[in-house]
Amino acid sequence: MLENVVTFAFDILSFTSVMVLIVLGLGVIASMMGIFNFAHGEFVLLGGYTAFLTQDAGLNPWWGIVLAPLIVGLIGLLLERSVIQKFYATPIIAMLGTYAIGLVIREIIRSLLGGHYKSVSEPWPGFFTVGRLDFSIWRTLIIAITVSVIIVSWLLLTKTAIGLRIRGSLENPMLARACGISTGQLYTLTFAYGSALAGLAGALIVPLYQLSADMGLRFLVQGFLSVMLGGVGTFEGPVVGAAAVGALAASLPWLVLPVLADPLVFLIALAFVKVRPQGFVGKGRT
Amino acid sequence: MSQEYATQRQSGGVTRRRFLTGASALASAGWVAGSAGGWLLRPERASAATPIKVGIATDITGALAPFGNANWQVAQFVVTEINQQGGILGQPIELRLEDTASDPKVAIGNVRKLIQEYRADVVLGGITSAMRQAIKDPIVNRGRTLYIYPQLYEGQECTKHLYCTGPTPAQQCDELIPYLIKKQGRKRFAMPSANYVWPQLLNKYARKVIEAHGGEVVFEEYYPLDQPEYSATIAKIRDGKVDCVFNTIIPPGLQPFVKQLYESGFQRDGGMISCLYYDENLLNYHPAQEMDGLFSCLDYFQSIKDPFSEGLQERYNKMFPGTKYLFTAGVASTGMYRGIKFYEAAVKATNGDLSREAVSAAIDKATLASGPGGGAQMVPGKMHCKMNMYVARCKAEGNKTHYDIIGKYDMVDPKEC
Repeated sequence: MLENVVTFAFDILSFTSVMVLIVLGLGVIASMMGIFNFAHGEFVLLGGYTAFLTQDAGLNPWWGIVLAPLIVGLIGLLLERSVIQKFYATPIIAMLGTYAIGLVIREIIRSLLGGHYKSVSEPWPGFFTVGRLDFSIWRTLIIAITVSVIIVSWLLLTKTAIGLRIRGSLENPMLARACGISTGQLYTLTFAYGSALAGLAGALIVPLYQLSADMGLRFLVQGFLSVMLGGVGTFEGPVVGAAAVGALAASLPWLVLPVLADPLVFLIALAFVKVRPQGFVGKGRT
Repeated sequence: MSQEYATQRQSGGVTRRRFLTGASALASAGWVAGSAGGWLLRPERASAATPIKVGIATDITGALAPFGNANWQVAQFVVTEINQQGGILGQPIELRLEDTASDPKVAIGNVRKLIQEYRADVVLGGITSAMRQAIKDPIVNRGRTLYIYPQLYEGQECTKHLYCTGPTPAQQCDELIPYLIKKQGRKRFAMPSANYVWPQLLNKYARKVIEAHGGEVVFEEYYPLDQPEYSATIAKIRDGKVDCVFNTIIPPGLQPFVKQLYESGFQRDGGMISCLYYDENLLNYHPAQEMDGLFSCLDYFQSIKDPFSEGLQERYNKMFPGTKYLFTAGVASTGMYRGIKFYEAAVKATNGDLSREAVSAAIDKATLASGPGGGAQMVPGKMHCKMNMYVARCKAEGNKTHYDIIGKYDMVDPKEC
């Protein structure tokens, strides 16, 4: 009995970490910059594709984990400089624009893969055993990395000078600019950071799923739900929201028919948002 | 702006002349853009005889692109070989492709072009059952044209002038399941499935076979196609003491399920997986260790040692070197091969009469002496064909995998209609 509870808890925790990891980048961009990046799922895909390419080239698979955030962060930086920065004044256009960017990336990857699904192996496969229970090393690592990424991001935002400036620009961009803070540069940096997180998430989770062009889509919708549920405008909000959505999505199939679990997650989340529109940790970006 | 444009023209942007050169290169390779979309593949030697018009309606773009492109390449391959040998009774075959775009709504319009504008003598194609249902009416009923459907599917398609050349549930289950129960000692089956028509009807049939042979179905459960997390299912498999997972989950939900099942130690504890659509494409879908020991049952595997199949495979690979779209059973390559060959045999039997009634009556009795995995024979009045079936087991060596043929079953009955 205890064994079942432990495996259950581990499974829920591991899927929750995957959700949080994916939502982190989305949440950072949504909260700090006030735009929803609809290409986020494709940034995750690009991270996964980077991992696939390094595997295909016969490199040590850990290079994929290292390169993915760098490459996707760089792509994010270039996109922000060239296209995304034109969208800040019009959040609705930003959604459409980033969706279009996502579509382009998705279809390019689809043609590169010939529409097939590809398997990417874990850099560190296998199990470790505690008592009579086996735990996947890779899933455990994902949990650990997620926790560290949360801590590092949180420290970055609350304890460093650059974090102070980011929070200042978030609070009052006009005043921040008047104080000599270059909000434009900060936005570029934040967007690149959010993209890099997506890239890292992609490279970490692709061994658990197949690499396919639609890999990011699945998580995008639940990602937005998480951000909505957690509340836009804070760092903690989306993290808590993602944890809630992840835990719900993984535990509901234990209780109800699996085909009902998906819509139920949405129903519960929407009901919650109706009661508490600002989300779990919302202070609102107004 | 205009200056920029001018330099671009000089320095090698796409100019009109360049574009035309490119287009004529395509045309000289046998390709002619159709008047309204589609692609034509004309026979190489211009001949006085009017060509037989074969329409291919398949998913070149969208989610099912790997299937559709494989089908289209096989069609080109078979037709090119027939034309090189002088066509059918001296009449060459002309191929016309319309993309069904993995979307039945788009497909209907494009398929109508094959019927109304191009006036195809026969249409082959369709991958999913939803697609077949959508295009069979414009082809068979309103279009009064012969239709051949090449993919393995859940059965129960009994429309006149619609011939199915892929395996049916009976062909895939009747040999594999008794083998798993009698030879491998499997008793307790689980049926985790994607929530759509193929798994539902296939499971209904498989359950009958399992129970008739003394096995037991512990649970049959359906999931959204892209479900990413299966811990609840894995727990049911463990608690129900399942010894054989009869999987009909498909990508993208497939890989997380197989991985979680493997991580739960199911195979190490002696459990087995069987999955009826696993062909050579699927070998790249999972890490090798997760594939090891998996059972499949199809009408063809590349590891089959018979000279005809090996020659076919070699010539296909020579025509499309390094292609992403392999000649395999799971993507309906074999069904497409049989479909065109059945049509060829039928037109020979009617002595060149291309009218639907005549050809259809001839296909109904047609036999193929050879093909991938062996010959095939239409069951008269049943619109399905008998074919050889193979039970194969996936074997991992290092990080490479291949299929070992475990059993060959001659001319298995489709048991449809």
